[in-house]
Amino acid sequence: MSLSRSPSPVPGGWSSPGLNLSNSGRSSPAKMSFAGPNGGPVTWESARLKSQGVNGYPSFATHNQGFFTRHMRRISSSLPTFNMGADDKYAEKDKPGPSRWNPPLLGRLRAITARMGRKWKIRALIAALVLACYLLFYITPMWYHWRRAGWLGGGEKFVIILAANVGGGVMEWKGAREWAIERDSVRNKRKYVAKWGYDLEIVDMSTKKRYAHEWRESWEKVDSIRNSFRKYPKAEWIWWLDLNTFIMEPTYSLQRHIFNDLQKHIYRDINEYNPLNISHPLTSPYLDPDSLSAEGDGDVNSVNLILPQDCSGFNLGSFFIRRSDWTDRLLDIWWDPVAYEQKHMEWEHKEQDALEQLYTTQPWIRSHTAFIPQRLINSFPTGACSDNGNDTRIHYNENDRDFVVNMAGCEWGRDCWGEMYNFRELSIHLNRNPWERFKEDFLAVIWFKLTGQKLEWLK
Amino acid sequence: MHYAYPSRKSSNPPPYLPRSSRFPRLRRSQLRTIALFGLAIIGLIWLFSGDSKHHSRRTISGKPRAVVVTVFSDATDNTAYMKNIRENRLQYAEKHGYGTLLAKASDYDLQGAPASWSKVVAMRHAITKYPDCKYIWYLDEDALIMNPRLKVEDNVMSTSKLEEIMLKDLPVVPPDSIIKTFSHLKGSDVDLILTQDKGGLATSSFVIRNGEWAQFFLDTWFDPLYRSYNFQKAETHALEHIVQWHPTILSKLAIVPQRTINAYATNQHGEQYKDGDIAVVFPYCSELGRQNCAKDAERFSQQWRTSFNNA
Repeated sequence: MSLSRSPSPVPGGWSSPGLNLSNSGRSSPAKMSFAGPNGGPVTWESARLKSQGVNGYPSFATHNQGFFTRHMRRISSSLPTFNMGADDKYAEKDKPGPSRWNPPLLGRLRAITARMGRKWKIRALIAALVLACYLLFYITPMWYHWRRAGWLGGGEKFVIILAANVGGGVMEWKGAREWAIERDSVRNKRKYVAKWGYDLEIVDMSTKKRYAHEWRESWEKVDSIRNSFRKYPKAEWIWWLDLNTFIMEPTYSLQRHIFNDLQKHIYRDINEYNPLNISHPLTSPYLDPDSLSAEGDGDVNSVNLILPQDCSGFNLGSFFIRRSDWTDRLLDIWWDPVAYEQKHMEWEHKEQDALEQLYTTQPWIRSHTAFIPQRLINSFPTGACSDNGNDTRIHYNENDRDFVVNMAGCEWGRDCWGEMYNFRELSIHLNRNPWERFKEDFLAVIWFKLTGQKLEWLK
Repeated sequence: MHYAYPSRKSSNPPPYLPRSSRFPRLRRSQLRTIALFGLAIIGLIWLFSGDSKHHSRRTISGKPRAVVVTVFSDATDNTAYMKNIRENRLQYAEKHGYGTLLAKASDYDLQGAPASWSKVVAMRHAITKYPDCKYIWYLDEDALIMNPRLKVEDNVMSTSKLEEIMLKDLPVVPPDSIIKTFSHLKGSDVDLILTQDKGGLATSSFVIRNGEWAQFFLDTWFDPLYRSYNFQKAETHALEHIVQWHPTILSKLAIVPQRTINAYATNQHGEQYKDGDIAVVFPYCSELGRQNCAKDAERFSQQWRTSFNNA
């Protein structure tokens, strides 16, 4: 560092910009930086010590002072050696090919293991394994791929379709609350999907001109499901979710929650819970035994549609449908102009009523449809289906840690965003980690009892 | 001999074979263990990965190969005309080991729909009665099987024959339906064979391949909302409707030349019967009264009996 004139100690740093080091602005000269003889920063104190030390002992010992001095040789010898060689090799730098630095890494590792005793070898192996597992499962996204892979976790077999923008577009204007609902709902499903390796398809259900013209509004479900099967060729099950749903327990995987033991969780005989009073099984004498049976063929693999039932019948706010030829046929005949022409005045719930109609009249649909207790995938808040008070088959109960809550019908006279917010907070509260529980349920309570004050930072 | 010292070792070390690689070579026995271990791992993966594909519930063994279905209207019950037709079906079925389902229209509860709908239920009934049959051939009561040598599975439904005769890219409902039969349909994918006459799709004679699709198709066709819709030609127009609106049905449909299974006695409504055709149909004969059908059938009655006796 060359200066045009000698530096002077002005409070607030050296006048020379080149010497303005990190601690400029300090007023104490004792702490002021100073360029030492090597150009490095020196403080006044160390400079004073140094000058004092001229007559005494050197200010540092050269022997056995610390770890590094003691092990310097060993460490430095095990460091990679660089070929600092001739300048005429510069040209090679950009050349692809074998690196010039080729440490005998394997050889050195062998030497180290050879020096180790058997006991230490085993210990080192265990430590390495633990470290490797930690790295693999918590640092790398391997757990995601593990859960996703079809032959391991099987996450790629599930696709969640989330109906966003319901009725928006032509029909109504979206306000801040609607946006908030959509944002929270989407974020909730995104997180869930990222955790378990599923796929999420957000479909825009805003009323389209196409359907408005054909009177087919709310049958878009069919097109969305069909498109998703096409888009995710590995998907086996599609889980349809309405916008006003919230996954309360993201730690439940669909496999563990339902599909690993499907037979146990579904029922095919609608008489088990039959709010629509559909007579089941069919009795027409010309039908085959499977169609006449209450349980279909009884094989769990022949179930292609899994529906929950609320207090007034099928609920299509949350249901599963499986990729199969059967499903293609159902999606194909779900909307039919002749049926629609005759029934559209009665079908208040449009595609839901159409499906009920199909289930009631067509044996081939009945034998492949199963039902799932509503609270497994579609719990209602107390506001929905409230005519007969709280129903343990229908309504959410936080003590049972229900999987999903569906704020069905909240857009008619209830506060969607309020419900969504409350359930979101409840979900966060229920799924706190042990440290948070310790803080909030133990420390904060004790503190409150001792001082009578609530601790904000513990919240 | 005795020496004071043992003989001196050579200062030159004995020549060892140089090592071929840095790692000790695998021995044969080790190789076997490794191979077994690898196999076991692959086996485990195979075991646990499983095959999650949904297989069809039941395989259809094909006994009998085909079933002939005919529904008699209540008006013809127990007449000589009906007995003639009945005998015709039974003889044909016996000849090839086919099953038969000869039902009366009043056997089925149609909930007020026209009696012609009973053919759809009867087909469904045939599936129940012969769950292992391969093909089901519906032939109207006003029709006679003329050529006993022709088999349903060989001369109509065999893949190669179908691919040869099916009419591709043909408007489903002539003359100007924008829905046309598939132009790249494999014979093995065909589950339903229909014909067209001058009025559109004809349902006096058609063949279905038994299976889940057949159940779906018949149930859909028999939907109460179609029955209550008052289609002008009842089930025939309902069929035209579902074929045009639902691609899962259209994609299994092949339309074949009319004389393949549905030759008419006269050329007034469609193609006329020629000797050697499998069957002859007397279309719309009952519109002028049932005795008119018997008169039409008279011409062919002797003929089918002689051809059956000769075959």
